[in-house]
Amino acid sequence: MPIWEGGCPMTEPILELSGVHTFIAQHHILQGVDMAVLPGRATVLLGRNGAGKSTTMRTVMGLTPASKGGIRLDGEDITKARPYEVAQAGVGFVPEDQAVIYSLSVEENFRLAMLNENDDSWKRMDTIFELFPALKKFWRSKAGVLSGGQKQMLAIARAFVGDHKLLLIDEPSKGLAPIVVDQLIDSLNHIAGHTTIILVEQNFHMASHVGSEYFILDDGHVVHQGLMEALVDDHELKQKYLGIA
Amino acid sequence: MTSQTASLAGGEKPALDMKQVAFWVVAGGIWLLPLIWIDPTIYMVLTVAGVAMGMLLFLTAVGLTIIFGLMDVLNLAHGAFFAWGAYVGFTILGALNGLGWVETGTLAQSILSVAISLAVALVVGGLWGLVVERLIISKIYGDHLKQILITVGASMIMAEIIKVIWGPNQEVMLVPAAFTGSYDIADVVINKFRVAAIVVGAAVYTGVMAVLLKTKLGIIIRAGVENREVVQALGYNITRIFTGVFAAGAALAAVGGSMWGIFREQINPAMGEENLIFALIVVIIGGMGSVTGSFLSAMMVGLAFNYVAFLMPKLALGVNILIMAIILLIRPWGLLGKE
Amino acid sequence: MDASNQTLTPVESQRLAFERGRYTRPTFLVQLALVAILIACPLMFQSFRVMDVVVKIMIFAVAVASYDIIIGYTGIISFAHGMFFGLGAYAVGLVAYYSGSPHYYHILLGLLLAVAMAMVLAVVIAFFSLRVKAIFFAMMTLAVAEFAHILGYQWSSLTMGEDGVSFKMPGIMNVNWADGTILGIPLNGRLVTYYVILVISVLLFIGIVRFVRSPVGRVLKSIRDNEQRATALGYRIFRYRMLSTVFGSTIAAICGGLFAMWLNYVNPDTVLGIPLMLNILLMVIVGGLGTIYGGIVGAAFINIAETWLPDLQKVASKLFPGNEVMQRLTERWVLYFGILYVLVVLFFPKGVMGSLRDMATRRKAQAMRRD
Repeated sequence: MPIWEGGCPMTEPILELSGVHTFIAQHHILQGVDMAVLPGRATVLLGRNGAGKSTTMRTVMGLTPASKGGIRLDGEDITKARPYEVAQAGVGFVPEDQAVIYSLSVEENFRLAMLNENDDSWKRMDTIFELFPALKKFWRSKAGVLSGGQKQMLAIARAFVGDHKLLLIDEPSKGLAPIVVDQLIDSLNHIAGHTTIILVEQNFHMASHVGSEYFILDDGHVVHQGLMEALVDDHELKQKYLGIA
Repeated sequence: MTSQTASLAGGEKPALDMKQVAFWVVAGGIWLLPLIWIDPTIYMVLTVAGVAMGMLLFLTAVGLTIIFGLMDVLNLAHGAFFAWGAYVGFTILGALNGLGWVETGTLAQSILSVAISLAVALVVGGLWGLVVERLIISKIYGDHLKQILITVGASMIMAEIIKVIWGPNQEVMLVPAAFTGSYDIADVVINKFRVAAIVVGAAVYTGVMAVLLKTKLGIIIRAGVENREVVQALGYNITRIFTGVFAAGAALAAVGGSMWGIFREQINPAMGEENLIFALIVVIIGGMGSVTGSFLSAMMVGLAFNYVAFLMPKLALGVNILIMAIILLIRPWGLLGKE
Repeated sequence: MDASNQTLTPVESQRLAFERGRYTRPTFLVQLALVAILIACPLMFQSFRVMDVVVKIMIFAVAVASYDIIIGYTGIISFAHGMFFGLGAYAVGLVAYYSGSPHYYHILLGLLLAVAMAMVLAVVIAFFSLRVKAIFFAMMTLAVAEFAHILGYQWSSLTMGEDGVSFKMPGIMNVNWADGTILGIPLNGRLVTYYVILVISVLLFIGIVRFVRSPVGRVLKSIRDNEQRATALGYRIFRYRMLSTVFGSTIAAICGGLFAMWLNYVNPDTVLGIPLMLNILLMVIVGGLGTIYGGIVGAAFINIAETWLPDLQKVASKLFPGNEVMQRLTERWVLYFGILYVLVVLFFPKGVMGSLRDMATRRKAQAMRRD
């Protein structure tokens, strides 16, 4: 198990990947990913395009199954689990594109996200409306008529509805205006308390304001990890793996 | 529901798309064209016949279109479910006739006979659908070529089993007494069973739309048609839903077959193939995955077939194939399908 | 500067070595043996039935191989192949019929007409193949094929409808012609027609194999395997696809013409229906998609089965006299066919030749690994 810079783990990791390899067709995308994510905080996956960040999340979710290696959620082996089983185990996933169902209304999109439509889910809706008031306005409209930014908000808001213990979010800030990104940062920080978040983000501003820990992926495996506050000042590392001056 | 969400009842609704409306008005107008050549009374008769035929085509097409839209499966065995429904109905009606319910029955007995035969057809169709899906279809998700080949094979097998059980010849289907004959409304002769077909078809359409639009299952199915992966990632066991949808589609096709048998007053082992061609035409024109699309295009195909059959009998089927070819050229995803 | 000064690339030299060894390889000897058997067939088996099956195998082997070009090599799923076959059959049949007592050139005319019509139709259909998604194209070909079937029925003024067209062959190919014996067997129209069909089929088959081994064929394979790459390399995909579908469809039409020559009779159900198309499909699957030679295996298997299974079934039905359901069960050999069909597609999707090739490649790979 990797040792964190500046501290040792006091709690069991909520998600553990050991030696995970994933192929997409003949492409060897993940080439031995080892990762341990601790609960109750936001972790960011960083790295260049094609490094394997999205694939890591999809592999955890079971959408692109791992060919080798192990994945444990809260100690339970989910390597061979089907996507719906992973979801039912408490993992939420917001994919990079096409998360929202265009032909359903906003309301129906939310109902879809509620595995059990009960009072708890609807109470969470109240919180969601506080965080994303625009969604109230389009409640009955088909999700397809929303603007790009609104669709993205819907996708993320929808993820909050299910009471997940782990939330995997893939590039939420893509295509969003800076104001909206800040809104997003606030809402993510709001739930980071009781939901563990793993974020894939190219936008370093967002990554550094939401995440408390990071993993840098390159060429299909983890090349660096640690606390976000340390990374912010490490210009050499940022330049080398993220291309940020 | 909290008060907050309750107050959302009056949320924003998207404006009507004028271009779409114009399109449908024009399309509707085309169906009045035959009046140029056909006498209005006969036109009415043909229209009723066309709508009735359309309803029955819809019963087969609806399963086919949802199965394709949701599961991305090309099920060419659908016609076989249709044929099975007809033959099962034939046996049931024959048995009920022994009780005197069919050819010499009262109105209540007639309705019940039809209802019972439809119910049994529904169950048999559903069972066949279950078997075919579990044994065969689930092994070939995603491979269109194999699906085409295998479902054709399955269709062959099912048709042969019909021949084993019932013999290879055409059989006469009994029509319950209350449904024989016709109504005469202002010189327009309307066959009674056609009315029944329209009622059943409309009921099925309403039922299916109700499930799709109002229930949670409907939301899941509609979402799955658009994006299977997201639905899985949200925690739904899509495989079980697939099986259920397939079986339901097969069951509806069987009901369609049972009705069609009475409609045409005869059944034969090849009726499944004929029906499949029609169903495919309907589904392609209407758009794969769209129930309303199938409904409208089924009406269209039924009407076109009846009008043309009256004017130029040899072209009747050809006209529908022509329409399908045109749609495939200018709008391959059909009238209401997704692009 | 002569060619031997130029250095060949590794691929070129490998290919050259391959070509040079062409006539000594075991597969070539097998092919030679096959043709020899076909030539000797009427002499070995005096039965008309055997000749009939062999002719059908020859014709369908070519038809299926030509279909394999379209579906196995180019990767286009089409249900129109049966229609092209029927088109050719009707072209020859109707020309022979309408000329009363045809001469040899009428048959040639019929075949040329078949080729011309097939080319035009194939080009028209090919034009649509890129505009629509694969399954829509497949549906469309199904509709067009069914349309042709219906046309065969309905256009009775031309095609005589469901009764079909009966016609005679000219001169020495005519069924009634006979002139003594040759090598101990009766020399008659059937025999002559048999050899004419044999020659044409073998030539067509060689043509198909040449086409597939040619640079065009290699491009088609690359398009099938990785379309984006082929486009990036500069190949106009559409043109190649069109070329292969036109080629394949035209050959199918010629096969149909040969079929008409043998049967002296065409009707919509035998040459234009969906059952014919399904037969061809089954043959190509059993033989193996993308193998070309699989066409021979598939055609042989299916035709032999279709000819002798009914006999087998008569024997079986004698085992259960009186019991109607059992009678019917044994009668319905199509049922077992259907089951076989499903099993083959599910468990042997590569077909006979395909599986053989897989085994050969695996053995080669193992041998290479050992070195």
